[in-house]
Amino acid sequence: MKKIALSAFLLVLPMAALAQAPAAPAKGDPAAGKAKAVAICSGCHGIPGTKTAYPEVYNVPKIGGQNADYLAAALRAYRSGDRYNQTMKGLASALSEKEVADIAAYYGQK
Amino acid sequence: MKIKSSLILLSVLSLSLPLTAQAAGNAAEGAKLSETCKACHGEGGAKPIQPDYPVLAGQHADYLVAALNQYKSGKRKNASMNGFAAALKPQDIQNLAAYFASQPSDLKVKY
Repeated sequence: MKKIALSAFLLVLPMAALAQAPAAPAKGDPAAGKAKAVAICSGCHGIPGTKTAYPEVYNVPKIGGQNADYLAAALRAYRSGDRYNQTMKGLASALSEKEVADIAAYYGQK
Repeated sequence: MKIKSSLILLSVLSLSLPLTAQAAGNAAEGAKLSETCKACHGEGGAKPIQPDYPVLAGQHADYLVAALNQYKSGKRKNASMNGFAAALKPQDIQNLAAYFASQPSDLKVKY
């Protein structure tokens, strides 16, 4: 009986660990991300007061100091269509996974 | 005649004003609603409990309004946020956005 309980416990343990595991951290290279960011992101996100255009007008979000993993998730969501913005969909779709991680790491630097 | 057309012009201009002006959010009212948000986004929206959740503190209010509206309409998809946003009235969204925009954080425009 003890043995069964123990094996059940051992079986559940790794599952629990899996459920608790936080989202995989973005392991981007901020220096590589900077070059890419200056080339494609800064024109809007690097200039105070830049607004979106059609169909809604609002300030583009501040992304400096934002959580890197969130920024990477946002770029992937634009790519998959879970988030929609025509400009961002085009830009995000052109990025490799490494570039996503690098750009996220650059803006995520605190 | 000149006066009449100026009057018409003036009334047309004033009609178009509410379309561009943001309905002002009330940060104090937003603070009361923010208890739900705090559970994940942290105190003042500045300390999210997960690295893939965004900092809301110090973000542009009009961007936060747009984000909540997109979650509410389903245009932006997130299982948790779609549910929360669906329950918010337009004025609640304005108030929450005003509150989070007013909170201190490290968010900045970075070139």
